Amino acid sequence: MITILEDTINGILMGSIYGLMALGLTVIFGVLKVINFAHGSLLMVGMYVAYWAVQLTGLHPYLALILVVPVMYLFGYYLQDIVIKPIYKAEKQVREPITVIIVTTGVWYILDNLSLLVFTPQYRSLPDNPLRGKMIEIGSMLISVPKLWGAVTAVLTAAAIYWFLQKTRMGRAIRATSLDREAASLMGIRQYSIYNITFGIGTAAAGVAGVTIVPFFNVFPTVGVLFDIKCFIIVVLGGLGSIGGAILGGIIIGIIESVGPQFMAATWTEAIVYGLFLIFLFVRPSGLFGVKYDW
Amino acid sequence: MTRERIQIFFLIAAAGGALGLPLVITSPTYLHILILLFFYAYLTTSWNLVGGFAGVLPLGHSTFVGIGAYTSTILSLQYGISPWIGMIIGGVLAAIAGVVIGMPTFKMRGAYFALATIAFAEGFRVMVENIDYLGPFFLNGPRGLQIPPLNVGLANFMFTGKSPYYYIILVMLAAVLILTYAISRSKLGYQLVAGGEEPEAAAALGINVARAKLIAMAMSSFLTALAGTFYARFTLFIHPKSAMSLDLSFEIAFIALIGGRGSIAGPVLGALLLRPVGDFSRIYFGDKLPGLHLIIFGVVLILVMIYQPRGLQEPLTRAYHRLLDRLSGKIEK
Repeated sequence: MITILEDTINGILMGSIYGLMALGLTVIFGVLKVINFAHGSLLMVGMYVAYWAVQLTGLHPYLALILVVPVMYLFGYYLQDIVIKPIYKAEKQVREPITVIIVTTGVWYILDNLSLLVFTPQYRSLPDNPLRGKMIEIGSMLISVPKLWGAVTAVLTAAAIYWFLQKTRMGRAIRATSLDREAASLMGIRQYSIYNITFGIGTAAAGVAGVTIVPFFNVFPTVGVLFDIKCFIIVVLGGLGSIGGAILGGIIIGIIESVGPQFMAATWTEAIVYGLFLIFLFVRPSGLFGVKYDW
Repeated sequence: MTRERIQIFFLIAAAGGALGLPLVITSPTYLHILILLFFYAYLTTSWNLVGGFAGVLPLGHSTFVGIGAYTSTILSLQYGISPWIGMIIGGVLAAIAGVVIGMPTFKMRGAYFALATIAFAEGFRVMVENIDYLGPFFLNGPRGLQIPPLNVGLANFMFTGKSPYYYIILVMLAAVLILTYAISRSKLGYQLVAGGEEPEAAAALGINVARAKLIAMAMSSFLTALAGTFYARFTLFIHPKSAMSLDLSFEIAFIALIGGRGSIAGPVLGALLLRPVGDFSRIYFGDKLPGLHLIIFGVVLILVMIYQPRGLQEPLTRAYHRLLDRLSGKIEK
């Protein structure tokens, strides 16, 4: 019983980090109405930036946020501005152009293989960072410290993005564009600059997720592939476009992955996750908290 | 000479060239590259029935390659049934799987459909990786199945040289191209295109869009599974990470999109242009610059989507028609 409780707690912690990974995806979807297939690669880029920042300065891993967030924001901003915007301009009348999915898939291939060229397939980790391998003992339970930090960061980041979207002027402009891009344009909101900013925020969120994983996980060029399909599943579970839903969806996946192996072979939990995802797609495509399924 | 005559002439020249190529190209490496090129052209043309004509984006077609490869391999290894019969059985099973997957997913639009096909394919792959014995059938989980190169001969779909495989895949490609041409001119083809572009308008005209898409899906998955058997007999080794990988699904879709989905020539053109780039960059730069061909794929894909959203077949088809005009005009003078 105690092991199940321990697994559940660690599952919730890891699941919150999954939710943080998926956060950028859901924010971008909410406004641009497109699933960014390159999201895992953005996560990978964020992990490399965090890794090198810590490796070269020797500072605490979470101090890397000071560098990672602005770098990733600018990266996302210009990626959308240079690569994805032309598609939107070409297909103005389409609400969710399928071509954008394809272009982001191209971005995914380019980023993953560029990093393979530059960084080689070598696995890198931060072996002597202050968080690695740390555990808290509660009774006979062991709780992972870096995952705890990650989970707290996940909740704080989600809250910060939520606050930004609800309370600031820019946030209102982003939500207006999300609801109706033509009407928002008529109100004087520049649609494409909102897209750039949103993509920047989503990419920065992926960077934050990268910072939280680097203390306990290896960095390598295809690391994004491990997580991106998981991120798709999480955002559909939680509801595409919903910030709280992303965290909750992440926690559900985290619990299944960590408690599941108590009852079956660990590899089967993956099949369970896909099954759950398909059930949600069929029965409730809007997810737990999603906006109305209107497209 | 009229345009039709010139076109027939070109067609015969192309067919003759394709038939004669193994006589000229004796290097097994190059023949191997050519076989895989036709293999991908075949897969992409099969994919195009759904991904092109029906206007959706399936990203899980490797499932059907896997079903075809495993069915014929298990039947031939454990029951001694000829792979040719296993090929058909695998195709039928894949068609059933395609309809089962298609029924719920065709109701979804855009990204949801793409994600659902990925989830089906990945879920299926994970299951095969976890199963050693499915009832009486030996799947061998993640380790896959090896095919011993015994009983060489046509009946056993097993040859010592590479050129028989070349001719088999060439015939398969020609057949699927003719079929695609026939479908594109048929009522079903028009229904698919109409349903893909304007589902509401098509439904209002009395077209059963869902039925048309399911028929296309059944045909596409059947044809894709046939290639699975070819793949198994050609490489003599199948495992979930190769025959059912997401990479394979994506590559099929990439080739179609770059070549031009929804057209007959597009998938073949895409394979003709992309496969050699991939193979030669792997041969010459594989050790120093791994993944270079995938970077090229990605860049080409993005450029094509921005500047030629209907694929490279569009400018090339226009050039081809200009050529036809000039040839027919000149000779008539």
